[in-house]
Amino acid sequence: MSDKLNKIIQKQKKQIEEPHKKEDDIVQLVGFIIGQEEYAVPILNIQEIIKPIEYTRVPSVPSYILGVFNLRGSVIPLIDLRRKFKMEPAKNTDDTRYIVMRGKDNIAGFVIDRLTEAIRINRSKIGPPPETIHSDKGMIYGIGMREDYILTILKVEALLKRDF
Amino acid sequence: MEDIQEILEDFLVEAFELIEQIDQNLVELESNADDLDLLNSIFRVAHTIKGSSSFLGFEILTRLTHHMEDVLNKARKGELKLTGDVMDVVLESIDMMKALLHAIRDSGNDTSIGMDIADICTRLDAISNGEDIAVEKVASQEESMVQEEEHVAQNVPALMNSGPELDYSKMSDKEVEDEIERLLKIRKEEDKKRREAKKTEVIPTSASSSTEKSSTPAEEKESPQKTEAPSRPSVSASSTTAPAKKEATAPATAMEQTIRVEVKRLDHLMNLIGELVLGKNRLLKIYDDVEERYEGEKFLEELNQVVSSISLVTTDLQIAVMKTRMLPIAKVFNKFPRMVRDLSRELGKGIELEISGEETELDKSIVEEIGDPLVHIIRNSCDHGIEDGVTRKSRGKSESGLIELKAYNEGNHIVIEITDDGNGLDPDILRSKAIEKGMITEREADAMSDKEAFTLIFKPSLSTSKKVTNVSGRGVGMDVVKTNIEKLNGIIDVDSEFGRGTVIKLKIPLTLAIIQALLVGAQEEYYAIPLASVLETVRIPLDEIYTIEGKNVLRLRDEVLSLVRLSDIFGVKQVYDNSEHTYVVVIGLAESKLGVIVDTLVGQEEIVIKSMGDYLQGIEGIAGATIRGDGRVTLIVDVAALMDLAKGISVDIRAVSETAEKIKSSPSDYVVLAVDDSKMDRNIMRKSMEPIGVTVIEASNGQEALGILKSGEYNIDAILIDIEMPRMDGYTLAAEIRKYSKYKNLPLIAVTSRTSKSDRLRGVESGMSEYITKPYSPEYLESVVRKNIKLLSE
Repeated sequence: MSDKLNKIIQKQKKQIEEPHKKEDDIVQLVGFIIGQEEYAVPILNIQEIIKPIEYTRVPSVPSYILGVFNLRGSVIPLIDLRRKFKMEPAKNTDDTRYIVMRGKDNIAGFVIDRLTEAIRINRSKIGPPPETIHSDKGMIYGIGMREDYILTILKVEALLKRDF
Repeated sequence: MEDIQEILEDFLVEAFELIEQIDQNLVELESNADDLDLLNSIFRVAHTIKGSSSFLGFEILTRLTHHMEDVLNKARKGELKLTGDVMDVVLESIDMMKALLHAIRDSGNDTSIGMDIADICTRLDAISNGEDIAVEKVASQEESMVQEEEHVAQNVPALMNSGPELDYSKMSDKEVEDEIERLLKIRKEEDKKRREAKKTEVIPTSASSSTEKSSTPAEEKESPQKTEAPSRPSVSASSTTAPAKKEATAPATAMEQTIRVEVKRLDHLMNLIGELVLGKNRLLKIYDDVEERYEGEKFLEELNQVVSSISLVTTDLQIAVMKTRMLPIAKVFNKFPRMVRDLSRELGKGIELEISGEETELDKSIVEEIGDPLVHIIRNSCDHGIEDGVTRKSRGKSESGLIELKAYNEGNHIVIEITDDGNGLDPDILRSKAIEKGMITEREADAMSDKEAFTLIFKPSLSTSKKVTNVSGRGVGMDVVKTNIEKLNGIIDVDSEFGRGTVIKLKIPLTLAIIQALLVGAQEEYYAIPLASVLETVRIPLDEIYTIEGKNVLRLRDEVLSLVRLSDIFGVKQVYDNSEHTYVVVIGLAESKLGVIVDTLVGQEEIVIKSMGDYLQGIEGIAGATIRGDGRVTLIVDVAALMDLAKGISVDIRAVSETAEKIKSSPSDYVVLAVDDSKMDRNIMRKSMEPIGVTVIEASNGQEALGILKSGEYNIDAILIDIEMPRMDGYTLAAEIRKYSKYKNLPLIAVTSRTSKSDRLRGVESGMSEYITKPYSPEYLESVVRKNIKLLSE
């Protein structure tokens, strides 16, 4: 009996969710700069964006993991995207921010050079990642075409995956 | 459907609680055969499980418990004497019952493991029948009819007696199986009918059983049966005596009112308390700061009261919540009487087990972990420790050996002591065995004290036993002990006297979530070491450190201690100078010890262990992180991993590292930092130094200056320091800078309007190299700077 009820409930859930999917042609992203390039991640994966705060170094980890910091009582890893992308490390400026991203079961803060803007982009404008990029190990979700430039959309789950 | 699921869950929870206590009772019963209370309670367990499992349709379990019940029922009525042999069969059947319950928990039915219970049922029957025939047949027949209700199958002996004389012992397994099957069928039919009639009644019964203590369900299930056969004369006899007994025992259990709470909820509560403790730590820290700044102000008094009352309540709350997670260690201890009994029969030695302190409480998570190590230790004591009767006699000991299992509190720890009066350990045999296996060199063996030699028993694959039995001797057990105790941050202490016995002490922290820690500084970083693992801290002069085979060691009293620097293990940047003295934190885990050199000892603090998330899980040497009073994250050292890491490090602690300096050619390569809170003053300094051509950078207070210096962005050659500055004054800045070895000779020039002699003296004390009083002429400043950076004008 309860099984039947469950089925009905699930069916209703699907019906509620489906129309959303149709409208989901627009993807909302947050853009930011690392080095010279603009990147973006889906806005839904971003928990918050904070100004740089003090962090504690963690021993025996790759150099792109700067350490851990205290986000209102939670201990969160801090990752320097410049170093992760094999760029020269830079000093913090007034524009430097930590973007706290949340994946399915992981959370981490990422150091970025500067925020740009919130971007709404049509799904059809997002192309697949160029196949020549294999050094990034699938961290790129796709390439977003804008009027005058292109945007690298990052895969948050891949960024949050431990690779050491 | 869901109703059944719920009942099934309740049944399992209850059943596991029941079987835990049944073991204990059975062993007690053997030595105390006429204890009717004990018998009754054991009978009730079998009965309850049988009743519930037949309701839920677990046929195999029902059948098994039914046969057990038969035997127990007879024993209860004094028709059967519980001898050791009978006990063996009963205990075996209980083991099978446990296995079935586990199967039900894991797979939802009792058929999947395919256990064959025919044999044990036959033996149980043989026991109950063998004695039975001597006793009045009619009586037993009537008794069993009375017991009816869901135990229709109890008619087995009755039917058998009235039918053609079936002798179970002569029947083949198959025949027995068939017979049982047939009887079960009859029974099930009747059951079905009855269940239909009583459905409404039974469900509330099993539901209520989940909330009440163990004895009540049995009682409730038995009560309907009284009304079932009112015409039978013997009903009153059996049913009045049984409830009377129960009433006597019921109040004791009813006194303890309990609520079952999901562990998840308690865990959540514990997490919240953890946050609160962090908040309290922070409050205390802020209070200290405020107190320093506003000394003597009246509001401080009030603040103090609030802060201390909050901190007190928080501590109490924490203890209270911790207590909700506490379980008496009896939960673990209870299985040992049975185990020792079995071992004693198996090994043919007389062994007694004395348990004390079983009411001592421990955190649930620890109770779950402590069982295995204890099993191994006690097995070892039984097998290797206790000698056989003849040897014991020749040594002038009593014939049967004694193992004492004791638990007691000691500060924030619980100590579990396992003492046996057996053979004891022979340190010389241990040494030679270890050498033979290549675990230690002969030189090491010679240097070993007896006590250190005892710890060799924890090395894997070292067993002193000459033969491998199925009890022990493989050399695995003690390794398990070590690993598990390490996991709990516990300490093992072994003491033994050859020929007299062995004492093993396990010292285990009471709880795992909130711990006391020693905070230490390694250069500029701070780490927390669980206090449970800290044995002592000592301050030693550097020249007491010796190097043996590339390892740094320290002779501490009569022990030789390996030393390792915390900053070497964690690759901390070396910034401070080696001083003449250093602090050594002696850490101990399980049976090993290590001296860890740290640069500062900060103090003891209560910390809450926080996970660093999946991303940073399992980093070598780090057990987790905590948030300190100042909001910073401090990492917690994983003592076990630290000891492993230490083995791979060989740095001569006394060696001083030298850093190469960059050569400066032009004056603009030289950098002077001007620290002053007034923009105008900084400009004057800048102007004065223009003729030299050095690069001038500015900072508006001490903290900023220190930040610039530490960032390493500039290679600073001299610093001009004003004394009166906000946030960090000049004296403090100078003192801070001088802490770093590489800035030991950095010229620090005080530029100030404070001219008194005491000010000058303070400047010298804090490490200033020059003292310029305001106002000054630009030329004077220029010359002082030139002199200090050794860049003289041509």
